Amino acid sequence: MFVQIKNLQYQYKNSTEPVLKDFSLSIEQGEIITILGESGSGKSTILRLLSGLETPKSGSITINNHLIFSGHHVMPPEKRNVGMVFQDYALFPHMTVEKNIKYGLKKMNRREKQKRMEEMLELINMTNYKNRYPYELSGGQQQRVALARALAPAPSLLIFDEPFSNLDANLQIKIRDELRGILKKTGITSIFVTHDQADAQAIADRVVFIEKGVIKQVGKPEEVLGCASLVMWANS
Amino acid sequence: MRHGVRTIKSKFNIWAILSLIFIAIILIPNGLIAVNVFTESNENWQHIKEYLLKEYITNTVILISFTALFSMMIGVSLAWFVTMFEFPFRRFFKWALILPLAIPPYIGAYAYHGLINYTGIIQSKLRNDFDVTVNQDYFSIMNNQGAIFIFSIFLFPYVYTITKAFLQNQSSSIIENARLLGSSSFETFFRVILPISRAAIVGSVTLVVLEVLNDYGVANYFGIQTFSTAIFRTWYGMKDLDSALKLAGALMFLVIFILVLEKVSRGRRRFSFSTTKVRPIQPKKLKGVKAWLLAGYCFTVFGVAFLIPFTQLLYWAFLTFESVFSSEFIQLIYQSVFIASIASILIVIIALIIGNYTRLHKSLLTSLISRVTTLGYSIPGAAIAISIITIFVALDGYLADLYRTLQIEPVIILRTSLVMLVSAYIIRFLAIGYNAVDAGYEKMGNTFTEASRTLGFSTVKTFFKVDLPMMKPAIFGGFILVFIDVLKELPLTLFLQPFNFATLATQAYKYANDERVHEAALASILIIIVSGIFIFVSHKLLEKEPA
Repeated sequence: MFVQIKNLQYQYKNSTEPVLKDFSLSIEQGEIITILGESGSGKSTILRLLSGLETPKSGSITINNHLIFSGHHVMPPEKRNVGMVFQDYALFPHMTVEKNIKYGLKKMNRREKQKRMEEMLELINMTNYKNRYPYELSGGQQQRVALARALAPAPSLLIFDEPFSNLDANLQIKIRDELRGILKKTGITSIFVTHDQADAQAIADRVVFIEKGVIKQVGKPEEVLGCASLVMWANS
Repeated sequence: MRHGVRTIKSKFNIWAILSLIFIAIILIPNGLIAVNVFTESNENWQHIKEYLLKEYITNTVILISFTALFSMMIGVSLAWFVTMFEFPFRRFFKWALILPLAIPPYIGAYAYHGLINYTGIIQSKLRNDFDVTVNQDYFSIMNNQGAIFIFSIFLFPYVYTITKAFLQNQSSSIIENARLLGSSSFETFFRVILPISRAAIVGSVTLVVLEVLNDYGVANYFGIQTFSTAIFRTWYGMKDLDSALKLAGALMFLVIFILVLEKVSRGRRRFSFSTTKVRPIQPKKLKGVKAWLLAGYCFTVFGVAFLIPFTQLLYWAFLTFESVFSSEFIQLIYQSVFIASIASILIVIIALIIGNYTRLHKSLLTSLISRVTTLGYSIPGAAIAISIITIFVALDGYLADLYRTLQIEPVIILRTSLVMLVSAYIIRFLAIGYNAVDAGYEKMGNTFTEASRTLGFSTVKTFFKVDLPMMKPAIFGGFILVFIDVLKELPLTLFLQPFNFATLATQAYKYANDERVHEAALASILIIIVSGIFIFVSHKLLEKEPA
């Protein structure tokens, strides 16, 4: 398995209940996973644990045969090779699109960086925007640049935290179709976190439905979504 | 257990180490004062305790109580009028009433004393043009009442600005409801506005009280015995560091008592809204006499607290310009700007490091560090000065052998260097820089830093490539605020400056104490103009910022 998450436990400092309880999941290379759940179900926490922004209490994480976390070993975020697209994109406002995309390419020489940046701009169909600053872009364009920036260093795993929540409904449908196309084209292993079942259905190869930090169901979108919608409706 | 050890390891990084070092620098002098309170006392202390302490306490308490009362009355009334009513020149007064903050009280004291003493313009005019000779008792401000007047008129803007900002964020529905329930404007003020503004008023009045406790210039110039003047007199006059430290300890207890009182009187109630959709208060348009009465009141306060002393100082500055403005004066400007810049840069750097650590690692330790960082501003300059000098004397003592080995003479390097003064500035003003930087971090949030880390950069590299460029406005803001405060600072500079080193503030003090108040004007006016410009600019920037 390309990504192996075993028995992950996590608890916030001021909370009495753990956010994640014995969370285990295996992901194949090139697979697109969606973690579906309500607010507070612990879905975003999984992404923060995978990226290294938070440290689990116990368990282990292996990506591409590299142990990135176990009880006595914590790899810092900068060494994990896990790309992340944030909910609010987090594009650096003082850098142009070009500089944002080149930011993570520190191991390449200048020519390689330029080539990679142009490839990425082509991939997201924004070759004419490289000199723009983030504030000069629309929400959808910012999101595509955030994707290009995360993809540029060729991470082993790409994770998305509610990537469509800041887009209006029409744009949301267009972008998620586009995004699936790009991810399949690059063959990158990805995890999405969302509370929107339509997003989960449109983009995922497999859906993981979690509730109160525990996996309730895993399977193809059509298998999981019926059960998930029933539970989410019951809780609403 | 393993998880705990790992957490400590992952959090004990360069940011933590540096933050803890800086916190130790702040805590050690305070700890020294606290420890000294419990050491054995000498004869001087017995004498002070028996004959003088009562006077210090009485004077200090009188000054802080009445200043608190008057600055609250002026500040709250102005904030209420400017927020609630539309009257002639309201927009002008809105920012002009902050300007008295640009005049440090000790400079205001020189100006007013010069203005109304026997040779001042008022008495001269009465004598020469109207042949009236007045009773000097009524025209002396060099007493407790005079000091209260000076502190109140130059410190009320703390109450005014904070209360005004609070009122501007209140919902108009509160006032409208009070009116619908039958309250007049007057009743609404006492029954609704005052109670809901309590926390803002108490907080701002506490700042005024802390400023009065920090004062040395006014009390010394007016010959009033307060804790600050007593500390310096014991130290310089009696050459008794131990007793001076004990006085500083007593002063610290007073500060702690005031801070506890503040906490208690703020109350448990919180007056904020859960929604951001608050309809701000719309000022009610006044007409006729009422409108002009309010404009007149604002103008009177502005005139007394800024226009009169400023014009007087400007006039004296023109009179004495040729005799005062020399190459030595230029050197004075250079030294003032130099020391203020050095201190401001260091303070902003330290604030950035501590701020970055506390925001990235939320824990009990970091919230404690955050609290300690802002502690220094509550501690009066006299207490900081006495503890700092004690530490530097001890440090020079420890290093004496090293100096001798290196053949350095005399063996008192640290005590006579600018390092001592800059250290004191850092302890006293770190809170100002930290608050500005911390607000910047808060505004920026953590996601940019996290994004950079997932793109392969460590916290240190992220700090330089992402955090620092994005924090430029906060860094600039913090630098300016600290710079102004250092420029105006008197007690620390006066007692910790090395030989042959002076600033505009200490030079103005020296002239005024030599009864050459006219010569003090040029240095004073420079301080006021620089501070005034920055206050005006920062006010304009704040006004532009969306609510």
